[in-house]
Amino acid sequence: MARRVVITGLGVVSPVGSKPDDFFNNLMAGRSGIRRLESSFAEKLSVRVAGSVPDFDPSAHFTKMQLTGIERFSQMALAAARQAVEDAALVIEEQERPRAGVYMGTGMGGATTLDECYQELLLRDEPRLRPFSVLLTMNNAAASHISIAYQLQGANVTYSTACSSSAIAIGEACRQIRHGYADVMLAGGSEALLTHGAMKAWEALRTLALEDPNDPAASCKPFSKQRSGLVLGEGAAVLVLEDAERAVKRGAKIYGEIAGYDCSSDASHITKPNAQGQERAIRSALRDAKMQPQDIGYINAHGTATVAGDVEETKAIKLAFGEHAYRVPVSSTKSMHGHLLGATGALEFMAAVLAMQNNAIPPTINLDQPDPECDLDYVPNVGRRGVALDAVMSNSFAFGGSNAVLIARRFQG
Amino acid sequence: MSSLETIQRMMAEQFDLKPEVLAPDAQLESLGVDSLSVIEFMFNIEDEFKVKLPDERVEIKTVQDIANIVDSLVAKQKSGS
Repeated sequence: MARRVVITGLGVVSPVGSKPDDFFNNLMAGRSGIRRLESSFAEKLSVRVAGSVPDFDPSAHFTKMQLTGIERFSQMALAAARQAVEDAALVIEEQERPRAGVYMGTGMGGATTLDECYQELLLRDEPRLRPFSVLLTMNNAAASHISIAYQLQGANVTYSTACSSSAIAIGEACRQIRHGYADVMLAGGSEALLTHGAMKAWEALRTLALEDPNDPAASCKPFSKQRSGLVLGEGAAVLVLEDAERAVKRGAKIYGEIAGYDCSSDASHITKPNAQGQERAIRSALRDAKMQPQDIGYINAHGTATVAGDVEETKAIKLAFGEHAYRVPVSSTKSMHGHLLGATGALEFMAAVLAMQNNAIPPTINLDQPDPECDLDYVPNVGRRGVALDAVMSNSFAFGGSNAVLIARRFQG
Repeated sequence: MSSLETIQRMMAEQFDLKPEVLAPDAQLESLGVDSLSVIEFMFNIEDEFKVKLPDERVEIKTVQDIANIVDSLVAKQKSGS
């Protein structure tokens, strides 16, 4: 029989809080972490709102010597991993190390360094780049630094499937344990691409939200008639996943069990989301969990607030859930933290797990006038407490058509 | 004039090390400065002393090794060769 996998530690660096409790309390209170960027290039942006983490202080986490070799997306990943390991009170004995691994997701890896490289070469006409440039920029830097920091000698893999990267990292890490290749995995994602180059590229795609003229923090409006697009965010989320037997034996605090996961591909269009592709991932994750739609008490939606995306996800939930679609609360916490791309799947799965743990459902904020085509219960504006939640779902649907769905349930030993 | 003092000051700054541990014969590895960090540090050295390191690999084990390389490069530059 396949082994069971539980979540025993959480760590987060996000626009709405950089501790799991702060993160979740802010979500419940409907506090937005979306703000106007103050970067040097901000004035050159047409859209300058983002879910940034201005209070992230690298020097609080790393020595000066470490910082020369660890770039922002890896710094955030390491800071989240450290919290998760401490939260789990995880000790990996020397003989266990080959069976402990790390799976991370990221979209653009060391985007900050890449931007700086081009500026050096093209703007300042520098003849040479910093020797660390490759090591700072590479997508697998974050996972590798985590592997080194915690002596994880098993698999060290980085997924880059745009917006579903870290959901897939968590799902595949779960399979590593389930199928007996590992006993402990650190899994999650990180993204730090609020750079001049990356933001301009996103601007050009015309999928970014316009700044709300009255309140920049309210610019991301999932499922609303007024929605105009997504808001980029940065941050990291890391979970400790553990073989249930190991966790129980050591008396670990258990947040929940990863009950189901699967992914699918739309195989239809590079950006246009596809309800049938999404439905396949949802159904497949439910099958994996041996669950029915009515077993799910809350869905943390992908809910990017793009015009096409929210309608398509609504359709997909209806296709997969049937009548129960109208009864299950669905919220998009992106309305508060923005779209963290490669980190977003992990961050939102964490939000769903914390919802289950607290029996509390975070709202979709900025939802005063729903789009008539979005007619589910999106938990508008006000979170709900005292809702018994035994199982929760998190959707991640990416550019490129790569869909991933994760299901967590309350752990019963 | 030897570049040693300037190098010691730069290393203390970049790596957050106490000046007293940066004796000329101090082993870089034992200060926690690995070969990769040395390469990164030499990048700053090039800027500071306006020199260009040769492409071939040079053995750098101690603080004095760095000073020797810089001194010889500066001397070469002065003599115009």
